[in-house]
Formats: sequence, C-alpha cells, structure tokens
Amino acid sequence: MAYDRKKIEELIDGTIDWETLHRMLSEPKDPERFRMYLEILQERVPWEDRIILPYQYHLYIVQKKDTKEWVIKCDCGHEFCDYRDNWKLHALIYVRDTEEALNEIYPKLMAPDPNWQVFREYYCPSCGTLLEVEAPTPWYPVIHNWEPDIETFYRDWLGQPVPERAEPAHR
Amino acid sequence: MARSIQVLGIDAGGTMTDTFFVDAEGNFVVGKAQSTPHDESVGVINSSKDALAQWGLTVEDVFPQLVTAVYSGTAMLNRIVQRKGLRVGLIVNRGLEDFHRMGRSIQSYLGYSYEDRLHLNTHRYDPPLVPRELTFGVTERIDMFGNIVIPLREEEAYEAARNLVEQNVEGIVISFLHSYKNPVHERRVRDIVLEVVREAGKAIPVFASSDYYPVRKESHRTNTTILEAYAAEPSRKTLVRINERFKQLGARFDLRVMASHGGTISWKAKELARTVVSGPIGGVIGARSLGERLGYRNIAATDIGGTSFDMALIVQGQFTIQHDPDMARLVLSLPLVQMDSVGSGAGSYVRIDPYTHAIKIGPDSAGYRVGVCWPESGVETVTISDCHVVLGYINPDNFLGGQVKLDPQRAREAIEEQIARPLGLSVEEAAAGVIELLDTRLRDHLRAMISGKGYHPSDFVCFSYGGAGPVHTYGYTEGLEFEDIIVPAWAAGFSAFGCAAAEFEYRYDKSLDINVAPDAGAAEKLEAVKVLQSAWSELAEKVIEEFRLNGYATESVTLFPGYRMMYRGQLNDLEINSPLSRVEKAEDWDRLTEAFEETYARVYAKAARSPELGFTITGAIMRGIVPSVKPRIPEEPLGDATPPNEAYRGQRPFYFRGKWVKADIWDMDALKAGNRIEGPAIIEAPATTLVVPPGWSTTLDAHRLFHLKRR
Repeated sequence: MAYDRKKIEELIDGTIDWETLHRMLSEPKDPERFRMYLEILQERVPWEDRIILPYQYHLYIVQKKDTKEWVIKCDCGHEFCDYRDNWKLHALIYVRDTEEALNEIYPKLMAPDPNWQVFREYYCPSCGTLLEVEAPTPWYPVIHNWEPDIETFYRDWLGQPVPERAEPAHR
Repeated sequence: MARSIQVLGIDAGGTMTDTFFVDAEGNFVVGKAQSTPHDESVGVINSSKDALAQWGLTVEDVFPQLVTAVYSGTAMLNRIVQRKGLRVGLIVNRGLEDFHRMGRSIQSYLGYSYEDRLHLNTHRYDPPLVPRELTFGVTERIDMFGNIVIPLREEEAYEAARNLVEQNVEGIVISFLHSYKNPVHERRVRDIVLEVVREAGKAIPVFASSDYYPVRKESHRTNTTILEAYAAEPSRKTLVRINERFKQLGARFDLRVMASHGGTISWKAKELARTVVSGPIGGVIGARSLGERLGYRNIAATDIGGTSFDMALIVQGQFTIQHDPDMARLVLSLPLVQMDSVGSGAGSYVRIDPYTHAIKIGPDSAGYRVGVCWPESGVETVTISDCHVVLGYINPDNFLGGQVKLDPQRAREAIEEQIARPLGLSVEEAAAGVIELLDTRLRDHLRAMISGKGYHPSDFVCFSYGGAGPVHTYGYTEGLEFEDIIVPAWAAGFSAFGCAAAEFEYRYDKSLDINVAPDAGAAEKLEAVKVLQSAWSELAEKVIEEFRLNGYATESVTLFPGYRMMYRGQLNDLEINSPLSRVEKAEDWDRLTEAFEETYARVYAKAARSPELGFTITGAIMRGIVPSVKPRIPEEPLGDATPPNEAYRGQRPFYFRGKWVKADIWDMDALKAGNRIEGPAIIEAPATTLVVPPGWSTTLDAHRLFHLKRR
C-alpha cells in the first residue's frame, strides 16, 4: 500500500498520526516510500547535490554535483568528510567531564560521576547545530555510528541502479 | 393465530442491531437493522419491526405481551476504545499521581498482533482515561495488612475536591493503595468530596474504588472504577432511553443488560462497567443453556463473526471465570467469562507477504463491509468473504437475506490480481488455499485450547454459530473427533438468544488473604471461616441491595456464595462454588478445602494435590439470582429423513478440494425436523449459510439443531 506525500512529510516531521505510523511499522514497507522520502528531503535542503541516503538527523550522504564524490553533508551545506569516514572527527567537540559542566544540564546529584561517564557533544562547525551527544566512559574512542553498504542497498533492496561514485583524489 | 411472545434478546453491534424474539412454543424470528449510535433505541425498534414482520406482527402488538428483554451492545466498549468518555477527576495517594498515566506495561501492546507485541517500536501507551492535570494526590497510607501507617490528611482531600469541582469534572474517582483491605480512608475522602460537591451546588457523581471493586491490584481496580465514571454513566442514559421507548410501546418489564460475569443485570445496577463486554458472552451462555436442557455437559462453543473467531469451553456445565481481563487495552478487575479469540473472521483481509510470498490473513478486517465483492463497500483488498463468493460457498443474491447484493466477478478479479497471479495459481486454487489456511488456523487454535486444558475433543460437543460460523464448521472441526457437531438454525441470532437465556444475576467479589496451615487447630479454622463469612455477608448485602432497587424482596433472592482458593504459596487460585451456604464452625473449613481439592484434581490431576502446604483463600464471591423467564427451545415432531420438495432451491457449482461439484441448495427455514441432507449441499437462511461438503451429511433434530457428520 502506498502512502500519499503528505503522510510521508508528516512522518519526517514527526507529526504523523499513530494509526498510520503503526501500520507503516507493522506492514511490509511500501516500495514507493524511499523515493518519496528522498524527494521531500531533497526539496528541503538549500543545496543541489543529490542525496543518496539520509545518514542521521541533519546529515546526509550526498553525491557532489561536480565531482560525483560521496560525502557526508549537513543541512546547512557544511561538508564533513568522505561517506566512509567518521564525521564526528571533523566536528566541533565539547566534552562535559567535570561536575560543574554536567550540573549545567542536570539537577544537583542527578548527573553521573565524570570519572565514570562523560558527555561528548558534536556540533556542526558552520551552523553550530548540536548534531549528536555521546555518553561513554571517559577513555572510550569516538564512536563511528555506522557504515552503510549503499551498493547492496540500491541493487538488492531497492532494485535500482547504484548512483555514480568517484573516488576522491586522496583519502 | 394468537402467538404468545415472551422473550426478546438484543445484540446491538457497531453496525448491525440483531433482535431475537421467542414465543411460548420456542418458535423464533431474528431481526436485523442498521445500528443507530446517536440514539440506539431507534435501531432496536427497527430491528424489532424487521423481526416481527416475519410473523405479520407489529411492535405495538408484541411489546405489551413481552415478559423480559435483555440487551447487549458494543456502545460502551466503543466509547472506551475511542477514548470518548466523560471528563473525570482522580484522587490517589500523594506521590503516586502518575501511576494511572504510566499504566501497566502490558497495556502498551495489548490487542496487538504477535509481531507487534514482540517489537518494542510498535509498543505505545494510550493517553490515560484521566489526564495528569485532573489527578490529585492526598497523603495517607494503609499497608497490605490493612493497618493505617500514615493517617489521612483531610485538608488535602478538601483541597483536591475543590480543585476538581472548579475544573468542572463530570465524575470523581478515589483510589488508594490497599483500600480493598481497609476502606476507611477512601470512604472518608468520598464523604469529603461529596460534601464539597454539595456545597458548590453541583451534582457530580463520586466513586470510591472500595465501594465498587474491593480487589487487589491498584491499576486494575483504578481503571475499572474510572470506567464507571467515564463510560458507564453515558451508557446508563442510553439504556434509560431504550427502556422508556419500550414503556411507550406498552412494555411492562425493565430492560436487563448482559454483564461480563455471564448473568444479566438491571440498567439501574451500581456496577454498570461490567456490561462493557456482552455480545460475545451471549453465545457462551446460550451454548451452556442449550447444553443444560439437552444434556450436553462438555461443550466447545465457537463463533465466527466479521472480525474474529471466539472460543470458550464449558466443562461439567460450567464456564471459567477470568478475574483480571483486559479490554480496550486496559487491565481491569472484572469477572469475565473466559474466551479465547483469534483475529480471523469472514471480513479478514487476505494479502501476500511481498518477501516470503506467504498468504497472510488479517489481523485487520473489512468488518461489516464484507469485501471487494460488495461494490458499494469501497473495500479494495481481498477478504475471506470474497473467497466464499468465488467458490460458491455463499449465495451472492441472498447475503443478509438479499439486503446486500454481491458481485462475484469483482471478487474474482481482485483475487486473480492480488493472490492468484503472484502465486502462479488459478483463482479457485488461490481462494481454496486461503480458506484451507483459515480452517487450519482455527482448527489448531481450537485443538490447542482443548488439549491445553488437558482434555480431548472427543469428550466435547462442538457448537458452531455466528453469521459466518456454519460456513466453516466442517473445516475447523475436521479431524478433531468431536463427540458431535451442532449448528443451531438460529446461528446468526445465537448471541441474542444467549443473552435472553441468561439468569438475572448479580455477582460481587472481594479480595481476602486467609491462610491456614496444614496443622492448624480448630481456633485458627474458626477464625478463617469467620473472616470468610463476614466477607460473604458484606457482599450479600450488596447483591440484595441491587435486587431491592428493582423491586425484589430479599426472600426472592437465591444466594450462591463462592470463594477462590489455592494451596499456600501457589500463584494461581481456583474459583469454587461453596458447598455450604454459611460457614460458622471450624469443621466447615474442612468442607471448603475438600471442595477445592475435588476441583483441583479435576482441573489438574489427583496426584498434584498438595494439602501438606496448607490452604489460602484469596477472595470471596457472592452471586444472587432471582427467577426469570427464559426462551423456550423449539420442539417439533420428528418427520421423514427426506426433505420436503419446497425446501429445494436447485443446484449451484461449488469448489471443493481441487474440483467443481454440483451442490444442492436448501432453504433452511423450510427444512423439517428429521430431515437428512447429504453433501455436497448448502443450506441457506437469510443471515447464515451451512456448508455440507462432499463426504459429509447433516440431520436436523427436533430442536432445530443441525448435527454435522463426516461419513
């Protein structure tokens, strides 16, 4: 069953009614969904690079219009890195690892002990949007969220040709 | 001819209102009309007209002669499902103001398909019946033994009451922890709230949980008490209106309502929330009542409607009562006749899973909209009924007596496109595959329900009813070796019949914790029976009070005390009808445990009895009954095995197990007692169809019950 565009927009905005959302979750995915979803996202961003895959809130894997390289890009247009790299290593990072910094967020005595847990906040260097917060133990490496297998996804799951991709000059 | 018509049963569903009239000889008519949710009395009267027209009578003729009428309906349930109840305020323990909103975690997936229950991302908490801003906390605490640990702060109760009155609530519910054990604080707060309401010059009903459902488990108890305020009061208005309409038509009886515990209660009843489930129970009561009169002790009652398949077991003439059922995604404290349901009915949608290419039935359904075969329905997905039409199971020109015309060609095309072609099958093979899958699924559930309780189908008679039940009877009973398979000729109106056959019966429950060690002396046993007897007396008072409201004297009420017992340390108790009407001596305790052990041995096994653990009584039960008029069942002289010619309606192609055969078509109403019909045959009535496939036969007995057999 296909959903109309308005429903998919509501899905993206988080305003969708529960009944429709429940049906979407329970039933096999409608084949039109991905195309429509990308179309809506593409219209909403101010740049013209083609979105290949939404990566996470505010971030997309795009095919650069001029070079056909695949990169991770923010809503605002800021380019982070190659789509296989960890964008967080290219973001602005603020680490809350003192009681004082943690108490800015939590009421007194409600925050974790900074010897056990810290918060790492990742911001876009261009628009300053807070993109993600990690809450690991202090020594833990920066987490690489995921590395999508886009070729397989397009070919075997969507049944569509894989978009063109150029290797960057140096990576 | 002067017919004397005594009993009326009403089943007001979401879409159709069925009425069932029975005369003094057991003859009956079934009427159908569209339900009218804005004023249900209209649908009830229309349906009655439809029924009585078949006897050439009018409602004005018949209502003055009626002795009794029983109502069951889905309006209250719908009001709860759609969360369209009244604006209710809630008073709870201070610090626990969020427990109602949080709910039990099971409420986040109740009513879901198996997959959706497993997957966390589909779980969801519905908005609470009472919003957080209308919930107030009052300081008090009573512990699980009933001791006052923190005294009630009355000034907080006054403040909460004033707040709620100011916010214009339409009902106020009070529910404290362990109030079932000691209700003093709840009752004090109830009186305070009533005082504040009175001072404000308003008339807001107030409900203390211990006055209504003095049972353990505060989520269940609170939900149920809230339903009294939230949903039952509007239903009372509906019932009053129907009752008034009946009175205008000359009726001289008070309308009764089918309740979840399997008895009927008056619309004046204090605990009206227990009428929330009534329709499906009607069938179970009907099956038990028929069984009682015809000598069937063990019955598997099965019902297929538009959306679900409902099953219940009657063992030794008794159905099982469930104590904390769920309804409309809420956990409740109501005694409910136990039923198992599968979300597969005649209206269930049929789809192909795009990844596994398996046929998937339901869980959603077109309900009353039948399927693609009904052009006006707007349904685009194939349903079970579409398969029936294509295979010749149902007559497209006689659906609901011809009120709805079905188009087999539309059904064919839809099945071809959605099911047959993707699977590489012919339309007939695909449709037959769907039916076979459904039959297998229902049969497996039925078998599991019976064997899961430790029985074998050969000890049971299977009753099959509901509009769509008899179409599938052969399919879901085949190979289960039931002792007999019975389809009543009034299958479509069987729930309404069952409601009319139910007792006028109130039932009250109360939680208890009576523990008696195996080596207990007479003093301890005496103390135990005292506690039980005082609970019985308290409940009996409530039962008698309900009947007094309806003008019955105390002497006319027959009381049936009961209790719930288990071995100490167990988790599951059994409900026992007490062998004694009063308990007052230490030896009486032993009679109670003997009755329990007898039931325990029957339900589980003799060897599993564990008296060395001692015994616990977890609850007291009191039922009260006054005599009421029940529908007679038909009694006709047995005639010839050969059916009369006027019952024969010709032949129709019928697809069964891979080939088309010619099935004889018979008119159900024109068949005579004693007639025997060999399959392939289809027996049609306006609202139901009995399918007799090749290799099967059926005989109509003197009570208009079809007995279906495989040769």
